[in-house]
Amino acid sequence: MNMLTVARPRSLDAISALMSDGRPLHFIAGGTDMLIAGRLRPKDGILVDLGQVAELSGISVVGQHIRIGAATTVARLAEDPVLAARLPALSQAAAECGAVQIRNRATIGGNIAEAAPAADLLPPLWVADARLEIRDHDGSRLVAIADYIASPGRLITAILLPDPDPAPKSGFAKLGSRRELTISKLNLAMLMRQEGGRIVDLRIVAGAIGPRPQRLKLAEAALGGRFLSPKALQLFAKALSDEVDTAIPTRSSRVWKRRAIVGLGYDVIAAMTGHSPRHPLFAGAA
Amino acid sequence: MGQVHQRVPLIDGAEKVGGKLQYLADMTMPGMVHGALVLSPRPHARVVSLNAAAALALPGVIGVWWHETVPQLRYNSSIWYVGQVALNDEAMFAPVVRHVGDRVAVVVARTAAIACAAARAITVEYADLPAILTADAAAANPGSVGEGEAPAFCNPIDHVKFVHGNPDAAFAAADLVVETLVSTPRSHHCAVEPHACLAYPEKGGRIAIVSPCQSVFAVQAVVAQATGIAEADLHVMKSPIGGSFGGKAEPVLDPICAFLAATLGLPVRIVLSRRETFVATRTRSAMQGRMRIAMSRSGRIMARDTVALVDVGAYSTGGNYLPGSMLQRLVRLYDVPAERYDGRAVYTNTVPSGAFRGYGSPQIHALAEISLDLAARELGIDPVTIRARNLVAPDAIEPWQGLSIGNGRGLDCLSRGAAMFDWQARWARRRDTGRFRRGIGVAAATHINGCYPGEEEATSVRMRLLPGGMVELVSALHDLGCGSDTTLAQIAAEVLGLKAHQIGITPADSDLCPYDLGTRASRMTYIVGEAVRRTALALAGEIRVRAALALNEDPGRVRLEHGLARSEEGEMSLAALADWMIGRGQTLPAASETYRASGNPSSFAAHFAEVEVDTFTGRVAVTDYLAAHDVGLAINPMLVEGQIHGGIQIGIGYALYEDVAIDPETGQMRADSFARYTLANALEMPPLKVLLVEEGEPSGPFGAKAVGEIATVPVAPAIVNAVNHALNTRLSDLPLLPERILAAL
Ligand SMILES: Cc1cc2nc3c(=O)[nH]c(=O)nc-3n(C[C@H](O)[C@H](O)[C@H](O)COP(=O)(O)OP(=O)(O)OC[C@H]3O[C@@H](n4cnc5c(N)ncnc54)[C@H](O)[C@@H]3O)c2cc1C
Repeated sequence: MNMLTVARPRSLDAISALMSDGRPLHFIAGGTDMLIAGRLRPKDGILVDLGQVAELSGISVVGQHIRIGAATTVARLAEDPVLAARLPALSQAAAECGAVQIRNRATIGGNIAEAAPAADLLPPLWVADARLEIRDHDGSRLVAIADYIASPGRLITAILLPDPDPAPKSGFAKLGSRRELTISKLNLAMLMRQEGGRIVDLRIVAGAIGPRPQRLKLAEAALGGRFLSPKALQLFAKALSDEVDTAIPTRSSRVWKRRAIVGLGYDVIAAMTGHSPRHPLFAGAA
Repeated sequence: MGQVHQRVPLIDGAEKVGGKLQYLADMTMPGMVHGALVLSPRPHARVVSLNAAAALALPGVIGVWWHETVPQLRYNSSIWYVGQVALNDEAMFAPVVRHVGDRVAVVVARTAAIACAAARAITVEYADLPAILTADAAAANPGSVGEGEAPAFCNPIDHVKFVHGNPDAAFAAADLVVETLVSTPRSHHCAVEPHACLAYPEKGGRIAIVSPCQSVFAVQAVVAQATGIAEADLHVMKSPIGGSFGGKAEPVLDPICAFLAATLGLPVRIVLSRRETFVATRTRSAMQGRMRIAMSRSGRIMARDTVALVDVGAYSTGGNYLPGSMLQRLVRLYDVPAERYDGRAVYTNTVPSGAFRGYGSPQIHALAEISLDLAARELGIDPVTIRARNLVAPDAIEPWQGLSIGNGRGLDCLSRGAAMFDWQARWARRRDTGRFRRGIGVAAATHINGCYPGEEEATSVRMRLLPGGMVELVSALHDLGCGSDTTLAQIAAEVLGLKAHQIGITPADSDLCPYDLGTRASRMTYIVGEAVRRTALALAGEIRVRAALALNEDPGRVRLEHGLARSEEGEMSLAALADWMIGRGQTLPAASETYRASGNPSSFAAHFAEVEVDTFTGRVAVTDYLAAHDVGLAINPMLVEGQIHGGIQIGIGYALYEDVAIDPETGQMRADSFARYTLANALEMPPLKVLLVEEGEPSGPFGAKAVGEIATVPVAPAIVNAVNHALNTRLSDLPLLPERILAAL
């Protein structure tokens, strides 16, 4: 019998039971990627609505980790005070996803599983070294976000963020064709600590310059270990542009993105260090 | 009393916000069936064969029609009366498709979903033909653009040349000559309501058409031409309309629905999807322009030499009027002693263009106002000053048609607007050199009021007192959402001493209304408003005569106010008067008038924009905005402001984002959805200030003239000029995408 049926499980155990049923499973959370017009819909198997599973939703601090249920909405992420204090990059990215209506439905798990090149939540999760709690018919395990590959029937149940004390600084910026309700043409997340004014443990990840988020190690090296100075920022700017040249050498958008990424980089650093992007520090152009 | 110059809420506003108004896609009829279109994926191809077997096998499918099974009558979708001569190049379905999105076939089924599925199941074999995808390619290859009957499908479809004064001598004597190239994009109307139509058989073998249209008579004329059904057998009714901006001025679905309803004897409805509305209806024509300006050192324009090339797309529609329309608006703004103009319109294998708010004006003003700013920069003259030195004075005669511009107050818009915007202080500000750079820009604009002298610019209105004291107003009225019904009701109510909501307006119905040109050419307030005012005066006269009898008074001493007929002797409500007359077996007072325009004054505007450009990302934020408008008198200042706000929203998109982006290699439209076609949304809107200059146009109703179209005309050049000021650049390819901005730095 080739038909799509719908299940609305109320617990993770109920989902596990479905997993041993043998029919293909398709998960639906907010539906903001899955249900848009023109997309292919599954034709058979079970469409599993994740919206009724309480265990899949919510943000909590568990020991050394922040645990985010995979079906937590993007709107919840954007307004959560713990996240805003511990990983502002993720709060900011959530606040800039889509528009109010989208944020109210879209979930973090959907964003990760959909894995669009322009997905806004991925760069913050990458810089934070997030791990994903995965469940399939073989059981549960943890996977580093950079190693995660979506596959049918594999459920993300939660996202675990390391929660060091004191929390690192982090930030996010994106660039689309307008400010709100826009798909990123470029996005950037950064995470760092400052030791006596020096920038250390810097991690930078950019989206929309490749099929997956890209760690920008050249730019990390250019700024890492240095004090924030016009000179350091200039090296940083150059490294960011070089990263774009390497990532998309032949695309026509390269000329624009190699400069725009500097704007995003400066915006994020300014926000992390409590400056305005208009501060003279950032005036020196790349 | 006191209805004119008042912020009267829309008379259909409560119905709209309450969700009660039935738009076409909400309407159903017993037995109604649904059509879905098959559109061409090719820019230019012969339709060799069509295999509908799989579609017809689907349960619920009623039939499939294509060029072999519909009348091959050629028509022009832009005509507005029966018998109008135009290039008849379009067919419901033609053997040759001429753009991606051109109509190949229609499927009719019991439900819309089945019809869509069936449309996808149809396979079509095409034989590709060479496609012309850019205006440059079209201009470089004059003559026939493929099979078709002359004069259709021959480039250029229109070529307007005009010389005034002695341009050669003026250029030779000029202190400075500046040449600027400007290109404007093909933009789309993006009305919330997609195109839709419903047709059904009526008594006597007639076909009724319900359509969100701008003229029921245009629908009648086009459908008659396209289907061969006699126009007397077509009964067209205007439905509520969820936005048009010109996009629904030309019937696209109406011929097909009417043909199917007649063929099947069933009600047939077609509602387009968003993508179909993008690729298969109309757009604003793209323009490439070159302007040379000869300037004197003092900032006077000595001469202009303008070349404009307009891409009208795959079908002529009204595109052959564009070069002339652009010239008409160009010569009404500044007092220029010598002018040369060369305007051409060409076919390409791209989506057709059609009416869109301003009809050529945004294009030609972008060219002229960006060019003038760059000339001012070279002369070292402030952009406001240079405009003040050249703007036409009231009652000037324009050089092309020799018409008076009326009490045109461009200079007041400019000077009062500049003062309110604090232009001088902002202009004197030191230039930013850092990452974020602010700049200000100004643009002036003018627009027409109605179609005079081009067409029989006349309209007829009937009004009568109804039992109960309401007054019925019958004319072919098409409120497109701008509030024209409310404005006209205010005019009638003012004269009759009633309130706007006491005027009952019937939407246009070709069986009930006298002929009218429709809602177009900024003619509703100025032309139809005056017709309404005159009819209301005639009706008021009738009512006074009757009331005088009832009140035993001299008609000259009866006043109409507060819903009453009043004299020194006494007063009675209009309802009581109606009762009194009905009791005596008398017919209630009625009046009808035909008003024929004898002039075409100009409306003016000056817009002021402040922008901030991020020189790293290329992003432009419009940070402040003032629009000064010469409206003669605002019948309803709230609706006037609403029109201006909306005009600015369209203009910001035109300046910064909007382009359907047709691939010059493949002819595919890249921005055929709201995910890819960027509109200015709420966050991008600056704080808006509106300044109304109300000096009265003697020929307009209560001094009023148009604002609807002009509101969007100066926006893009004002913003582009502000960006060029901020960056000291000469950007002139619209829209100013971040890529283009960074490339200019
Ligand atoms: C108008 C609009 C604007 C948008 N703007 C943005 C934007 O600015 N930035 C951005 O990043 N995205 C944007 N998106 C995309 C989308 O909203 C996000 O990707 C969103 O996070 C998807 O979540 P969802 O819950 O709606 O996913 P769904 O549509 O429910 O699912 C998407 C995919 O993920 C799978 N899935 C969902 N949950 C899980 C899970 N827990 N485990 C395993 N697989 C799962 C589903 O099977 C499906 O394949 C936009 C979308 C729209 C329609």
